[in-house]
Amino acid sequence: MKRRVLLTVLLCTLLAVVLPAAGTKEAAAAEKVKITYSFWGTPDEGAAVQKVADRFNASQERIVVEIMAIPHDTYVTKLNTLATARNLPDCGIMSEAGVLQFAENGLLHDITDMYGVGDARPLDSLVFRYQGKPVAYSAANEVLLMFYNKDMFDKAGVPYPPTDAKNAWSWDEFVHNAKLLTLDANGNNATSRAFNPNAIVQYGCMVENLTWQLEVWALSNGGGFYTADGSKVIINEAAALDAIQKVADLHLVHHVAPLSTGLTDDGIQRSLIAGTCAMSTNGAWNVGTSLASARAEGLNYGVGVLPYMKEKVTICTGGPNVVFSQTKNPKEAMEWVKWYMQEENSWELIETGIWMPILDKWYTDEALTRKWVENPNFPPYDDYKKAVVDYAREYSRSTSWYYVNNTNDFNTLLGSLLGEVWTGRKTAKNAIEGGYTQLVSAFKGEL
Amino acid sequence: MLKSESRTAYLCLAPSIIGLVFLTYLPLISVCVLGFFRWGKGAPTPIFIGFDNYRRLFTTDPYFIDSLKVTLTFSVLAVVMSMAYSLFIAMLLNRKVKGRMLFRAIFYLPYVLPAMAVYIGWSWLYESNFGLFNYILSSVGLPKLRFIADSSLVVPSLALIAVWLAGNLIVIFLAGLQNVPKVYHDAAEIDGANGWQRFIHITVPCMTPIIFYNLLMSLITNMQIVTPALALTNGGPGNASTFITYLMYRYAFVSNQLGYAGAISFVFFVIIALVTALLFATSRSWIFYEG
Repeated sequence: MKRRVLLTVLLCTLLAVVLPAAGTKEAAAAEKVKITYSFWGTPDEGAAVQKVADRFNASQERIVVEIMAIPHDTYVTKLNTLATARNLPDCGIMSEAGVLQFAENGLLHDITDMYGVGDARPLDSLVFRYQGKPVAYSAANEVLLMFYNKDMFDKAGVPYPPTDAKNAWSWDEFVHNAKLLTLDANGNNATSRAFNPNAIVQYGCMVENLTWQLEVWALSNGGGFYTADGSKVIINEAAALDAIQKVADLHLVHHVAPLSTGLTDDGIQRSLIAGTCAMSTNGAWNVGTSLASARAEGLNYGVGVLPYMKEKVTICTGGPNVVFSQTKNPKEAMEWVKWYMQEENSWELIETGIWMPILDKWYTDEALTRKWVENPNFPPYDDYKKAVVDYAREYSRSTSWYYVNNTNDFNTLLGSLLGEVWTGRKTAKNAIEGGYTQLVSAFKGEL
Repeated sequence: MLKSESRTAYLCLAPSIIGLVFLTYLPLISVCVLGFFRWGKGAPTPIFIGFDNYRRLFTTDPYFIDSLKVTLTFSVLAVVMSMAYSLFIAMLLNRKVKGRMLFRAIFYLPYVLPAMAVYIGWSWLYESNFGLFNYILSSVGLPKLRFIADSSLVVPSLALIAVWLAGNLIVIFLAGLQNVPKVYHDAAEIDGANGWQRFIHITVPCMTPIIFYNLLMSLITNMQIVTPALALTNGGPGNASTFITYLMYRYAFVSNQLGYAGAISFVFFVIIALVTALLFATSRSWIFYEG
């Protein structure tokens, strides 16, 4: 009996101590605004981002951020489903091609107010605009570059591709050097009369022909896929047609590039890393992904700027962060996104070379540039500074999905039309002119 | 007694019935209904548009007709080739050869391998520049073939993979061959029939129910093909491997046009149903049921 009384007293005391404390905690949590941020990746990657969010949560008293990790392959589908159920998270990362479609459907919040006067802002080329208003900022900057195998160049006695855009190779110089680097089984290069194009053992180059990356050549040749304001499709004009044909002719006419149908996103692996090509164009992220491990395994690669046809240009892109319009707390969502997009908070991705910073100061302040570039995965500072940092700041233009809607459907159709161009069954002119009406329909969102 | 038996039967059938209703029939009806709506891209909530999706399919869609042709071509090629191959291999495996069990396992193995691994492996073999097949062609002085990078070769190349994967058909044919009464063969042999005559006049007629089953299953499976397009070709080059199921996937989950994808699914369902009905209708004239 005594024991039961004692237990009861103890229990009451415990409750008296614990309950008010729990109440205080709950009240404090209730005062905080909860923000959900969706992110593509595995649960492990989600946990890593949650750690960053926890730092934000600990840094202030008003907002609690929770990460929703969704597998990359089903990310947009899941967001579409959530949008239909009116249950979108407050904010999240988006696919580039999906931003303006979401904006058109009224699913994105205008984020003009995210950066105030005097705030360090992302580069202007990284702003997604819908009807003139910013609806997303890229979380990273990525530009297209030329990667090359130094050993193959040394062996052929060909000078490395320029790192300074001022000295960029013209297209003809590029083709000529690619010929010197293309070898048949008997060691003849593609300029030799004895060269056998049916027994090539090493190609000079591979220009990535994924449709979105082809845009850079249309721009370089003085044209584009669309007009600069994104109001009209001009891929049927001579500049773009000629540029695409030139890329196809690398394989068909000059025999300096392997056949690539532009369907799979593994150009660097199939060319430079497989040891089959001396040069390969692709995005800057490769420095931190496939090329980092290849270098560790002995690939001696360098980086240079793209050759040019008429204008020196590269294109930039980067996974954008958005605030969804269904949020009840847009200010808090913007505050988190703005905090999260500071380079310090995605430093691991930047120092490994996967992401390039988005704020202008990293490109102009030498101390910051050195902090970013002088890391193990990167090529030598001077090379990367000229070929990537300066090139990205001075010569890059936004990929069209920053200002044109329905690029996904357009690029899919274009890829399908160009399938016969890469194998030489059709010319770029025939293929694109034949499908122009449908390309315009895709551009208008009618496909 | 009967009541109790019926109750037990219904109880045992319940999981299957529930599965069929909720996982097959209701989704089928939903897809059919969905085909009358615009939903997804440009329409966050479904908007009724009558037969517009179906009209668009047969008039302005740049992919659908090509896709239909590609799917049917692939199916016919894959079915004919894999039926012939499987029957041939099954007949070899039905003989008393040394290591028969090992050979059976070897031919069945591709069927149980993970699909993505199989297609990635074949992509290395088919690679246009430095793939193994082209290496062999070059070393004997023949020109390289573009296999899956050429619009006229991609379907036969993918059909060849489907043939290689037809281990399940071999097993079923083998089971059928073992049920062909030996006494018929013995009698024919006494009458002086040679191997080919016995095959045509005894084996094939006795095997027709199995041939019909394999034909039907193989046709339906191959018409619904999607993995090679996802793993190897992304529907290309051009639209040369844009199979209908892949097109459906692309409209639904890449382009987010759920209503339109629903319309494609329903039309495709009708096509498969018609082909199946046609097979059943003709089967009476060529299937031989013993006794």
